[in-house]
Amino acid sequence: MQIITKNWDKIDPFRIEDYIQAGGYASLRKSIREMDREDVILQIKESGLRGRGGAGFPTGEKWEYSAKTNSDAKYMICNLDESEPGVYKDRIIAEKNPHQIIEGLLIGAYAIGAKKAYIYLNGHYREAAEILKIALDQARDKEFVGKGIMGSAVDVDVEIFQGAGAYICGEETALINTIEGKRGEPKLKPPFPPVCGLFGKPTIVNNAETLANVAYIIKRSAKTFSQIGPNSSPGTKLFLLEGAVKNKGVVEAPLGTTAEELIFNSLYGGGMVSGKEFWFAQIGGASGRLMPRGKLDQTLTYGNCEYPIGAGSILVVDKMADIKDFLYSWAGFFHRESCGKCVPCREGTFRLWEIAKRMKNNDLREKDRENIKDILWTLSNTTFCPLGNFAATAWSDAVKMFEKEIFPNTNKTNNDTN
Amino acid sequence: MSIQKILLQYEPEPENLLRAIKDINKEQKYISEKDCREISKYFSLPLARVFSLASFFDLIKFHPERKKIIKVCSGGPCVMERSLEIIRQIEMLLKIEAENDASPKVKLEIMSCQGLCDRGPIMMIDDQVFEKVKPEMVDDIILNYL
Repeated sequence: MQIITKNWDKIDPFRIEDYIQAGGYASLRKSIREMDREDVILQIKESGLRGRGGAGFPTGEKWEYSAKTNSDAKYMICNLDESEPGVYKDRIIAEKNPHQIIEGLLIGAYAIGAKKAYIYLNGHYREAAEILKIALDQARDKEFVGKGIMGSAVDVDVEIFQGAGAYICGEETALINTIEGKRGEPKLKPPFPPVCGLFGKPTIVNNAETLANVAYIIKRSAKTFSQIGPNSSPGTKLFLLEGAVKNKGVVEAPLGTTAEELIFNSLYGGGMVSGKEFWFAQIGGASGRLMPRGKLDQTLTYGNCEYPIGAGSILVVDKMADIKDFLYSWAGFFHRESCGKCVPCREGTFRLWEIAKRMKNNDLREKDRENIKDILWTLSNTTFCPLGNFAATAWSDAVKMFEKEIFPNTNKTNNDTN
Repeated sequence: MSIQKILLQYEPEPENLLRAIKDINKEQKYISEKDCREISKYFSLPLARVFSLASFFDLIKFHPERKKIIKVCSGGPCVMERSLEIIRQIEMLLKIEAENDASPKVKLEIMSCQGLCDRGPIMMIDDQVFEKVKPEMVDDIILNYL
């Protein structure tokens, strides 16, 4: 089943004609010419499409909140920030088929009545920025973007806004703050952005992959889409296979596929690299949980799920690897990317980083065991935004699962007087 | 290009603030306090607002960089491809320590994800990006590009 990857490598990202020939922008035409705004939202709602950025909020419902709010201006934003280790699916969509994202963005903007749309792009993405810029210029020439789209009275202007390298800006309120020219720190919710977002106006922030699904739903009807995968979270998802699997890279699979299938089926991962033995898999990027061998048969969906799918990355780790290297990597990442707004996260990630550095030099003290537990509890329960919880997820799992590897000297008496 | 010229490309709206700051940073590699004052005057925003935005992002610098900066990614997928070994290799070769400012000529930084995980591990020397680096290649890269 292919929705997003269908035209990859078949069309030239620099030529809008290729995309139009493959049936592109037909959904935009259909929405504007044949459908009311309410119809479009109803279709998306009925399709059951959920946000692909990680939280999995139903997209149609989100759009409805904005559409129902009266305001003189509304905004639509495509979130293409990512910047989480192991997550680069949106960049690949933008590089292989940029118009798919733009079309979804335009349909969304039409549905909620926004006259201005932004593509918020990660500051590090140079190639994707160029490709998207060219794609937008071409779409503007063909009258898909700008004033009077395809001869109708609908105006949507699209602008690229490139950040400057900060993980927290993927959080929607922080992203909105950045565009407003403020520090990229998260804001208190409610009010939620669909009601009061950019410049205090209703704003929809959707992940790029979510938007890439929209054109398909409008074209093939909500029913076709809702029949793919499980009822509660239908559709396909891009998964990123990394680490010790044979075929690394982006694969598209229906939601509800098990991790085992993704890693071992020859359609997707094709099994472990020869000579390496599966140890655990991290589901969903640096903020994801660790899945042991025994849990591989769990289905990956949005909603109630023991292992949240996050942005869809699956990092396969083999038994040769050292868990301390990963603890060091996670702690370092979240320590660098914590925005510093709230104390538990700023201090917690910093102390965790200190402990990780000591752990790497095999200089762990008996006191650290208590401290780690204390810090992890604080991070997962008291921080302002989810970044703090993310910083604790993988660590908590690792401490539970690999206690022996992390604290090798548990039985010896500790002479540390510090 | 002078700062005034860069600023004049943008309407003085808050949404253009980051763009202007980034452009100036790109032009002269850093932003001085004087530049911040000029930006704040042009956008009619308090100096504190300009400074708070600029200081938030890694890519914006406030001092001219006199050292060569080597960066290596240490995200999970890069760790699986032995990026920590690359860091150790550089540390040994140049006799420096990661994140340490002691050397006057070169600094080794551990960086956050660049979103190039499919081409990892990623190593950077100033603005130059090296992809799929192996620990064995470090000597060559340092010799030829540092």
